[in-house]
Amino acid sequence: MAQTMMRKIVMSGACVVLGITRRSSSRCLVTSSNNVTMKKKDRVLPEEEEITKSVFMSQSTDIYTNLALEDWMYRNMDFTNHHVMMVWRNEPSVVIGRHQNPWLEANISHLTEKDISLARRNSGGGTVYHDRGNLNITFFTPRERYDRKYNLELIKRALFRGFGIKSVINKRDDIVVRDNYKISGTAAKLGRLTAYHHCTLLVNANKADLSKALAKREHGIQTKATESTRSAVANLADIDHKVTVDSLQTAVGYEYLRTPALHLEDGGQGLIMKQRGFQFVNPTDNWFPGLAELKQELQSWDWCFGRTPVFTVSRTFPVPAEILAPSKVYTATQELVINMTVEKGLIDDVTLSIPPGLIESGFHGEASVITHLKGKRFTSEALNALQDAMLTRHLNSDVKKLDEKDQFVAKCFDQVVNTI
Amino acid sequence: MVLQRYLLSATRQYTLKRRILGSFRQTFCELRYSYSSDSTRKYTDRHEWVVVEKGIGTVGISNYAQESLGDIVFAQLPDPGSEIKAGDECGALESVKAASEIYSPVTGTITEKNSEVENKPSLINTSCFEKGWLFKLKLTKPEELDELMNEEQYEKFLKSDVEKDH
Repeated sequence: MAQTMMRKIVMSGACVVLGITRRSSSRCLVTSSNNVTMKKKDRVLPEEEEITKSVFMSQSTDIYTNLALEDWMYRNMDFTNHHVMMVWRNEPSVVIGRHQNPWLEANISHLTEKDISLARRNSGGGTVYHDRGNLNITFFTPRERYDRKYNLELIKRALFRGFGIKSVINKRDDIVVRDNYKISGTAAKLGRLTAYHHCTLLVNANKADLSKALAKREHGIQTKATESTRSAVANLADIDHKVTVDSLQTAVGYEYLRTPALHLEDGGQGLIMKQRGFQFVNPTDNWFPGLAELKQELQSWDWCFGRTPVFTVSRTFPVPAEILAPSKVYTATQELVINMTVEKGLIDDVTLSIPPGLIESGFHGEASVITHLKGKRFTSEALNALQDAMLTRHLNSDVKKLDEKDQFVAKCFDQVVNTI
Repeated sequence: MVLQRYLLSATRQYTLKRRILGSFRQTFCELRYSYSSDSTRKYTDRHEWVVVEKGIGTVGISNYAQESLGDIVFAQLPDPGSEIKAGDECGALESVKAASEIYSPVTGTITEKNSEVENKPSLINTSCFEKGWLFKLKLTKPEELDELMNEEQYEKFLKSDVEKDH
């Protein structure tokens, strides 16, 4: 399988190998998958000079396809003798870390409205925004040779060599410029044999869209999920207008090829000639058998939302005076409190604390309403279930629509599940 | 003379007692050791450990793994009831923006996960062999334990692995 795939890559017209064509055709991109299952104890890692490097350029701009490609390479390729750097970019999307809560990190309703994709990646870390003005770089190595500092230093050197931009790598492994403006965020995944480190580089991303998509809102969510650290960001193009995603990709690509695999040093043109060079990759199921399946999984609600670590929501809503019982006078503020536990993205437990004013005005039947919510997705699906349950209750009493008390409770639920 | 004889016999008796006691202590230790060798810690080349008692294995990560990961901020553990094979990915630990896969050292059915670790992942850093265990499973292929390294072999493996790395 690996051999045929290699042939496909070499023979395909889309495969352009810039710089050096000689070496890449004589070697195999993917070695037998047996290597991936072999015992780590028996693996012998090669000396530095035996390692060759490639820069893969993904031709897709779809976040799910690119994440699937990354995952495919992680699962199927052997990086023992061949280190790979992949560059890729995406249409507008919000990418959350593996153990994060999308409702907490992203402005979900805004994303739906603006057609921005939400994706959960396999690596750790916090949430980032991608668009065509952002370059993503993934460094693949054997697990033992995972070296984030090396990769980040390499990018730093590329920025300086290519554009004269001075940058600093901070304690959080962010690359910052000027007065601590972040241009790059980092995350990684470590497996048994293979590891990858990927990072973003803001070139000319839409900063207004970025902050709207990641805007912090009232949500009342309590969780152990990994939280993002907010940072002020900058675009590289604002520092030097010569920086474009393409020119940056070329600069970082050449820096990668001219640097020895295990330590930072300039190997110059001579070393570049020894590498396998730049290669376009077309992430389709033909080239990467099984890719479509990985993509489907990454796109699914169960992965993006369902993998959220368990969380609770607690929200309090003041009840408007006009729907309280008119004959009574209440000294304390009448508040409706909604508490929910959400596990695997599904509502597990709900409690409603209904103030006396609302009960006395005739709101009832909450118990039956609540049981209908269990197991529903923490989305408008839950809201619909709630409204349906309320309507069913009314059917018995010949009233066909929700009264104002029901509408108020439904509106509060809407705000809870849509984190408005 | 009498005193001398008395002293001599006393010394003899004492040395004899010491010898008997000593040998007894030794065998007792040996017994204890051979008895407990069933539940000694075994290691994988991925730096997980497993201790088996009465067919139930407790799994965690080694001190070396804990140190190289750094501050663990999130633990994703397998759900009880799930069946996993030796070498299967069955969770992840997140530290300093990196998600590290957890692999099971042995085949079996998960019986329990450490919810204390889920609530406080730093327990893995502070107590990787005790409070920081990750999950328990009922072994279905106990013979797999023979493939794993004991303490001494693991120490040796660590040395060679670290040399390989640097």
